[in-house]
Amino acid sequence: MKYLLSSSVRRMQKILKIARREYIETAKTKTFILGLLIVPCVVAGTIYLTSRASEKSPQQPLTIAISDLSGKVFEAAKNGAFSEYNQRNAQRQIQIQQLAPAEDPNATVEQGKEQLRMGRFDAYIVLDEGIVQDAGKIRFYTCKPNPGKMSRMGNVEYLMSEAVRNLRYEAENLSSELVRKLQSVQIDRIDIGQGEAEDAQSPADRGARFMLPFFFMFLIYIGMVGTGQHLISSMIEEKGSRVIEVLLSAVSPFELMAGKIIGLAAVGLTIIAVWAALAYTAASWQGVSIEVGGGLMVYLVVYYVLGYLLFSALFAAVGSICNTIKETQGLMMPIMMVVIIPMISWWRLVEDPDGPLARALSFVPPLTSMVMVLRISAGSQVWIGEILASIALLAATVLFLMWAAAKIFRTGILMYGKRPALREILRWLREE
Amino acid sequence: MLLIMDAVFVNRVNKSFGAVRAVGDLSVRVPAGSIYGFLGPNGAGKTTTLRMIMDIIRPDSGDIELLGQRSIGRAKSRVGYMPEERGLYRKMTVAKVLAYFGAIKGVSNAELAERVPRWLSRVKLAETAGKKVEELSRGMHQKLQFAVTAINEPELMILDEPFSGLDPLNTDLLKGVILEMREEGKTVIFSTHVMHEAEKLCDYILLINKGQAILDDRLAAIQARYKSGAVCIEAEGDTGFIQRLPMVASVKAEGKGLEIGLTDGGDPQELLKALVNRVRVNRFEVKVPSLHEIFVKLIGSANAEDS
Repeated sequence: MKYLLSSSVRRMQKILKIARREYIETAKTKTFILGLLIVPCVVAGTIYLTSRASEKSPQQPLTIAISDLSGKVFEAAKNGAFSEYNQRNAQRQIQIQQLAPAEDPNATVEQGKEQLRMGRFDAYIVLDEGIVQDAGKIRFYTCKPNPGKMSRMGNVEYLMSEAVRNLRYEAENLSSELVRKLQSVQIDRIDIGQGEAEDAQSPADRGARFMLPFFFMFLIYIGMVGTGQHLISSMIEEKGSRVIEVLLSAVSPFELMAGKIIGLAAVGLTIIAVWAALAYTAASWQGVSIEVGGGLMVYLVVYYVLGYLLFSALFAAVGSICNTIKETQGLMMPIMMVVIIPMISWWRLVEDPDGPLARALSFVPPLTSMVMVLRISAGSQVWIGEILASIALLAATVLFLMWAAAKIFRTGILMYGKRPALREILRWLREE
Repeated sequence: MLLIMDAVFVNRVNKSFGAVRAVGDLSVRVPAGSIYGFLGPNGAGKTTTLRMIMDIIRPDSGDIELLGQRSIGRAKSRVGYMPEERGLYRKMTVAKVLAYFGAIKGVSNAELAERVPRWLSRVKLAETAGKKVEELSRGMHQKLQFAVTAINEPELMILDEPFSGLDPLNTDLLKGVILEMREEGKTVIFSTHVMHEAEKLCDYILLINKGQAILDDRLAAIQARYKSGAVCIEAEGDTGFIQRLPMVASVKAEGKGLEIGLTDGGDPQELLKALVNRVRVNRFEVKVPSLHEIFVKLIGSANAEDS
């Protein structure tokens, strides 16, 4: 008994020593340090620049041609709605010009469309003759607009209809101030937490709350997959430098694999902790409050650990049967294709966290961690039974994959040269 | 408790890789405290046998005991293994690599503080302690690898081609350390295909070819068995009479002296007596067959039969 105890203690010590070296040597590499710091910098920089760019930088003015068949709207629009808009948005001007109506209105419209096709202006608007008195229409022509301009077309539509509305109020002897006053209804959005305090949420808070599930899912993703890359490169290095046989003369393949996985789990947790801290700091610096419940944190850790173990088993198996990083890429492809699913569909999942898609993906073991964290942090009251079932399935998958990976690792790690075929790997699994 | 224990006991072991039979029905006992040479041409199965002893690969059949243990995992910390493919972490410093491998072999930090500098100076690498492994020359790398193997002060050293790529000075350095280890009562197994290295070091020889044991005995016994029945002499005076002596079958000039082939049952002592009466003898050497010759004779003929 004493022998067993001391031997398992010694075994644990070996595993921890391997883990410690793995952590230190990985954390020292340039790729790790750069990745740790540069990714948040790039993300922050991109957000900052795009938000500034959309606010400040001048955009090409939109040019709009208008054929006002009623003859009443153009001047009013130009001096009213459009000039107000242009004063408020110095960087995003909308220039309107009259396309003089010919004798025949149809000929005018055909001429305008022709010029639009030639690219003389970005949009062409035709106002029906009875636009103010009767229920005439605004016809809004565009010709293959580019997406950047497309988003501003909405403004043009709004301003044009605003100009028409104002004329209609005048025609009915209504004061436009009065109408505006009657139309405006103030709304305060208040989200009540568990406590007493009622905080009116700023739009920034709402945005942060909306992005939070994605952020958590992204951390899980990086912790699992990004760390897996380190696992693979560390194994390929050991195979390449032939250090593996020296290691195996001192420790068992299982101890080596366990040590690596634990060491790199610490690497993953470092990345997650640093990024989460940076995001939290940035958010509170911007005055955005982020509340994260304790329950969510527990799930986050449980799902991360299980998800990480699942992927590290896969990556350990891949790394052990390949000799170069290039060879691993072919095998990594299918894994990455699967993991990308929640990244692409996160929007749908957040919108409908208890929908069939979210439920189904929760029980695809490689995706369970990401999808469940997304669902729980999206505020869905996921039934506890579903959470436990997903954890049980994930844990069972992890146990199976660890068992298989240990077998593949044991044989594959010493193989140099040709990569083994699938049939051969299946044979290793059957060996005792 | 047995008094004389086998450090390694390999019993009827087989191992195939696909259709290739790397080791076939091989048995060998390595007595504790001896230096045992595993000899054979390239691809004979030496490395495979050593890897099976270290439980790095498993035999298809047969069993292996290491330091009296059936479970090799338990004995691992008492063994030092230097694989043929050398490898160390290139980005770590010399002292750290040595300490790391010591640590995972179960050496305590307190012991490492003393052992790391001691072993570095024993293989004359003390000045490079702070250098990165990738900055070392090939010979230095190999000496460090040897220190890594020995850092847990094992009872049994298993060295796969320990001298390949070393210059004569470093070869002698490692040979010296190996002989000191035998003095300390340790067992050393090493493989080589360079025969004269084995000749100078080994107590026992196992000659393998194509996975089969061809010879397995004490070096002295092997040399006695394959004695060539020849004598080399250097003598002053007229040596023409030698050809006519009854125990002499042939005489051949070799360098300054003569190589004399004896008849079957011809006794070198009789020859010496006959010589000292007639000429002044400066050198008289009963020729011991070199392992190289035995190797070429046994393996050359075996492999010639195949082709």
